[in-house]
Amino acid sequence: MGLKEMLSLVRVPSILLLGLLYVVYVLIGGVIFWELEGELGQKDIGLLLSNKKKLLLKYTCLDQDGLEAVAQVVQDASKVGLSLKGNYTSDGFWKFTSSAVFAATVVTTIGYGNISPTSTAGRIFCIFFALFGIPLNLVVLNRVGKYMLAIERKISDFLEGKTGRRKCTRFFVHLVSYMSGTLLFFVVPMIVFQQHEGWTFSQAIYYCFITLSTIGFGDYVADSNPDKVYPEWYSVLMASWIFFGLAWLALVINHSMDILERLNNHFKQWWTRETPEEESGSVEEENPETLETQVEEEDKIKKTPIT
Amino acid sequence: MLQSLASNSCVRLIQSHKSTWYFASLVLGYVLYLIFGAVVFSSVELPYEDQLRQELRAIKKQFLQENECLSEERLERFLKKALEASNYGVSILNNASANWNWDFTSALFFASTVLSTTGYGHTAPLSDGGKAFCIIYSVIGIPFTLLFLTAVVQRIMVYSTRRPIMYFHQQWGISKPLVAIVHATLLAMLAVSCFFLIPAAIFSALEENWNFLESFYFCFISLSTIGLGDYVPGEAVNQRFRELYKVAITVYLILGLIVMLVVLETFCELQQLKQLRKMFYLKKEKPQDRLAILEHDHLSFTTVSKRAASQGEDKTQSFIGVPTLMSPNDDPMIQ
Repeated sequence: MGLKEMLSLVRVPSILLLGLLYVVYVLIGGVIFWELEGELGQKDIGLLLSNKKKLLLKYTCLDQDGLEAVAQVVQDASKVGLSLKGNYTSDGFWKFTSSAVFAATVVTTIGYGNISPTSTAGRIFCIFFALFGIPLNLVVLNRVGKYMLAIERKISDFLEGKTGRRKCTRFFVHLVSYMSGTLLFFVVPMIVFQQHEGWTFSQAIYYCFITLSTIGFGDYVADSNPDKVYPEWYSVLMASWIFFGLAWLALVINHSMDILERLNNHFKQWWTRETPEEESGSVEEENPETLETQVEEEDKIKKTPIT
Repeated sequence: MLQSLASNSCVRLIQSHKSTWYFASLVLGYVLYLIFGAVVFSSVELPYEDQLRQELRAIKKQFLQENECLSEERLERFLKKALEASNYGVSILNNASANWNWDFTSALFFASTVLSTTGYGHTAPLSDGGKAFCIIYSVIGIPFTLLFLTAVVQRIMVYSTRRPIMYFHQQWGISKPLVAIVHATLLAMLAVSCFFLIPAAIFSALEENWNFLESFYFCFISLSTIGLGDYVPGEAVNQRFRELYKVAITVYLILGLIVMLVVLETFCELQQLKQLRKMFYLKKEKPQDRLAILEHDHLSFTTVSKRAASQGEDKTQSFIGVPTLMSPNDDPMIQ
């Protein structure tokens, strides 16, 4: 019984600590964003207001209300992806290909929001579509990630057979796969977007990251500028990039989560060094055990103090 | 983010069955589902867009006629600037400039939407420094959020799902699958009413222009972390207690996400769902060694979740029968 109490004592602080750390992390983020962006936003508003005043001065027939009314209309229109700029030759957002891209951003939970359903029916459908689509997407992406991992494994095994050095080749293959993943899913798209969208490199890499992490602000969205003509292969390339990139990034995020968890375990182990029973329990976590054996281990641990 | 989260929970159900047929049908189904969605969206939304387009054209023409001194070109240049600013959350409208997008509580709200990967995009970092920080912050923060959520969900699961099911199973002698499915349904209903219906009612009361459906739509889009950002609360002109409101929404979003994950996990542990999976399972043959390699890999998704699960469970809850978590035949190592 004493052991069990001790264990629960060890466990409660760890979750509290984690929670506390999390809150602190969010708070720090809030403060830094506040610091970085607050002034710039102020400047932006100032610029816009002076611009507006200049316009009102120049065209005296235009009154404040009239201008604001038109600005309101345009703002609303831009929210649904329309632009007031002269030419209406482009065939609108809700054509088939763009709708497919929208559906993909919904099920992957990217949700740029540069475009969103405006009709009631569209909204209700969106809810149900996402309800079934998101789990489906999870399963598929996970499968793809697994296959990518399996390919990496095969190459690793093949090379291991050739060279005979286990640890070295494994490390090498991991390194190469991560490097090539970064190259394929960040560097190459960055160059392509920089070429076709007229963004700077920093904007392009920001877009790549925000998309693949499924944050999806929608401040930069590829293939959506109404004033540009995109080649045919562009949207296909973008879709496949998002698809494989998401699978890859899920893999990477899981890996880093694994590292964090191992770190956590390490600290916990270090924390409770003085109790030898504890140690035998936490060492077990190093390799993936089935639950059955875990239970056996637990029994063993419980027996040790008695015998 | 849900991608990586669900890899912890749901996907381990299907992991042991690696038939290529299943995979092919899965991919095919996925593509069909996307196409289906695209067709419906485009057929539902296109008329509205067309209508809006015509309205906009008419208004512009009318406006130019009323104010003849204004050239079309000049108006467009101004509008372009205004639209760019509105994309960053700076509105040109006179009254709206009163509240800041980047005061502390808004920044906090923003940070939490970044970490949960909701990313409404109603505000986004403008400065290069902000963008760079945003990337670094989320590279560290998103795995951290995942870890946090997994840890919390694992602990809640014991109290919300496993213990009640065990209790009813033992006390009333009802078969476990039946208890599980009733429990899962009740839990889902409770979660929907507490985290969708009630907040939707509150939002529709607090926000001026939102009706109930729009509020519900907002709740769903937020908690599923899609985050389209067409509705963002607390952005109204004269929002009272704006700071408090923003903080409350932040708390609501994090709690809601946790509850969603608990419900998801509960459904994933259903026996019936495992039966469903068996329908997809077409071929029996599989190279055992490859499977073992996959399962042993430290990158593999299962290992993380299992370790998290075992960590949560076996340390203190070993007395409540851990094997209920999954039946032995779900475990590839045993087969």
